[in-house]
Amino acid sequence: MENDNISVIKVRDVLMVTVPPDPDDTAMAFLQEKVLMSMEQFRAKGVVLDISAVETLDSYFARVLSETVQMVILMGGKTVIAGMRPSVAITTTQLGLSIGNAETALNVDRALDMISESLQWR
Amino acid sequence: MDDRQGELSIGRESDVIVVRQTVRKITKLLGMGLTDTTRVVTAASELARNIFLYAESGVMRWNVIDTPSCQGIELVFVDQGPGIPDIGQAMQEGYTTSKGLGMGLPGSRRLVDEMEIVSAVGKGTTVTIKKWNRRS
Repeated sequence: MENDNISVIKVRDVLMVTVPPDPDDTAMAFLQEKVLMSMEQFRAKGVVLDISAVETLDSYFARVLSETVQMVILMGGKTVIAGMRPSVAITTTQLGLSIGNAETALNVDRALDMISESLQWR
Repeated sequence: MDDRQGELSIGRESDVIVVRQTVRKITKLLGMGLTDTTRVVTAASELARNIFLYAESGVMRWNVIDTPSCQGIELVFVDQGPGIPDIGQAMQEGYTTSKGLGMGLPGSRRLVDEMEIVSAVGKGTTVTIKKWNRRS
């Protein structure tokens, strides 16, 4: 499996999660669990899901993303989905997918800014 | 492997990845643009997933198609699954009988240039999609 490609690192109170380019369903399920376990382990307040490497986002992928956002909320955290490619944004919208009430950012930098602001960092 | 046509079996979830990689390789060969590539790869991913979810197994055949003026890709998804009793209903937004989001067929239709569905209950389903290369 490609599970080793999923990196979760903690920067301040935020988990930075890099989603691999072409994850299969097992990898996505693994990612979801790893994010939630890391929330607990690192006492994180937020998650940045970096999808800038992702080339194909289908309905299953979108469902796992929006589920993950919801699960992180249940654990008291905030998620920002960062770095969606233009071609993926076009395709996802035309396919009719939504990623729920997830917040999004152009890139990881801005995602961190957004979370920082909402956590009232100095 | 002949690059202009071929067949892939779909029987496991991981085959969906192979489908995506194969379609991506063909669109690259055709010199298709990034957005159109993403569209057709995503549609293929949805249709391959449908086979895996509803029929358990099937195949995807691919063909490079030519007209005097342009080239394109044709993907045919064939299964011997339960079939679709009401294609009109299956094409409705939000309609789903499984754990998907109900976007598979109508959503995929919007991502390609042509889509044809032939289905017989108890016999199986064949979904054919075509995407023309706008750059050729």
